[in-house]
Amino acid sequence: MTNLEKYNQAFCETFELANPDFDSLQYMGVEQWDSVGHMSLVAALEDAFDIMMDTDDIIDFSSYLKGKEILKKYEVEI
Amino acid sequence: MLKNKNVIVTGAGGGIGLATVNKIAENGGNVWACTRTKTEQFEQDLQNIANQYGVWIKAVYFDMTNESQMKTAIKEISLEKRSIDVLVNAAGTVYNGMFTMTSISKLKEVFEVNYFEQIYIMQLVARLMMRQKKGSIVNVASVSGIETTEGKLAYGSSKAALIYASKTISKELAQYNIRVNALAPGLTDTKMNKEIPDADLQKVLDRSSMKRMANPEEIANAIVFLASDQSSFMTGQVMVVDGGRLWS
Ligand SMILES: NC(=O)c1ccc[n+]([C@@H]2O[C@H](COP(=O)([O-])OP(=O)(O)OC[C@H]3O[C@@H](n4cnc5c(N)ncnc54)[C@H](OP(=O)(O)O)[C@@H]3O)[C@@H](O)[C@H]2O)c1
Repeated sequence: MTNLEKYNQAFCETFELANPDFDSLQYMGVEQWDSVGHMSLVAALEDAFDIMMDTDDIIDFSSYLKGKEILKKYEVEI
Repeated sequence: MLKNKNVIVTGAGGGIGLATVNKIAENGGNVWACTRTKTEQFEQDLQNIANQYGVWIKAVYFDMTNESQMKTAIKEISLEKRSIDVLVNAAGTVYNGMFTMTSISKLKEVFEVNYFEQIYIMQLVARLMMRQKKGSIVNVASVSGIETTEGKLAYGSSKAALIYASKTISKELAQYNIRVNALAPGLTDTKMNKEIPDADLQKVLDRSSMKRMANPEEIANAIVFLASDQSSFMTGQVMVVDGGRLWS
């Protein structure tokens, strides 16, 4: 599986989305992406890429696109 | 009580921490024994405990004031892909000094170890526990965080802050089936108290019902209780184990 596929899968499985417009996904923008869903997304991404994110990055992870930028810090190119 | 549970213990090289490692092993649990200073004695002690009880115990070294070291250590633990059932935060530092004789830098130093980095390690480990939807966190605070005594500004307020944190975090983590409790020991016979003059120690002991220090094992027993399912309906509590010092 490519990194992009893993990244997309984390969003789809965490938020139970079938075929979303990925680029428009934002924190609090879909019902399931609340503070609880946010931690589930972080867990899914940490598992998928074997990383451990810093708290500041978890706070900054405000959208699907922003997340791609943040993951670069952990040497995950999407 | 902890058969096949995997436990992270910080401050494992200290009096209460090492006694806790021993009690966990005696109860069938495995341990990542975290401390700052690597010594042959510590490694030998862990080996002996593991052999005696037929569990695994791994030494993990980091200075809690070095966040990246601590994060790397917890990441390595997470890469083992074992469940992390319990976190016992027993690392701590003490400073005794009157308010007028406590510099802000000293206050920050004490808070760094006894509060900020305890929060950080809880954040790291709780995220792993949240995935498992289970866990128990035990923060070793102190009766000094509850009673007010002259000369305890730095230490007492850092422990009071840890007690508050334990309570508030317990509310946030309950939805993930993670319990968070604090333990408030009274004077315990460890190296932490070695520099306190005997007369001062005696004054504190005289105020308590049992008029003696705790053995580290007596504190470890309480930690194991809070860590295990024996306390499955307890969260957000402060368990006082002080030989009748508070409210006596
Ligand atoms: N003894 C008492 O009377 C008493 C009473 C109430 C509460 N407590 C609390 O119980 C806990 C354990 O205390 P203890 O009596 O067992 O004291 P201790 O024997 O002095 O042990 C303290 C432990 O904390 C570790 N530690 C300190 N600073 C650290 C840092 N920056 N990074 C990583 N590890 C660090 C020490 O490592 P090193 O060996 O490398 O220094 C040691 O393993 C503490 O939180 C203490 O505040 C103690």
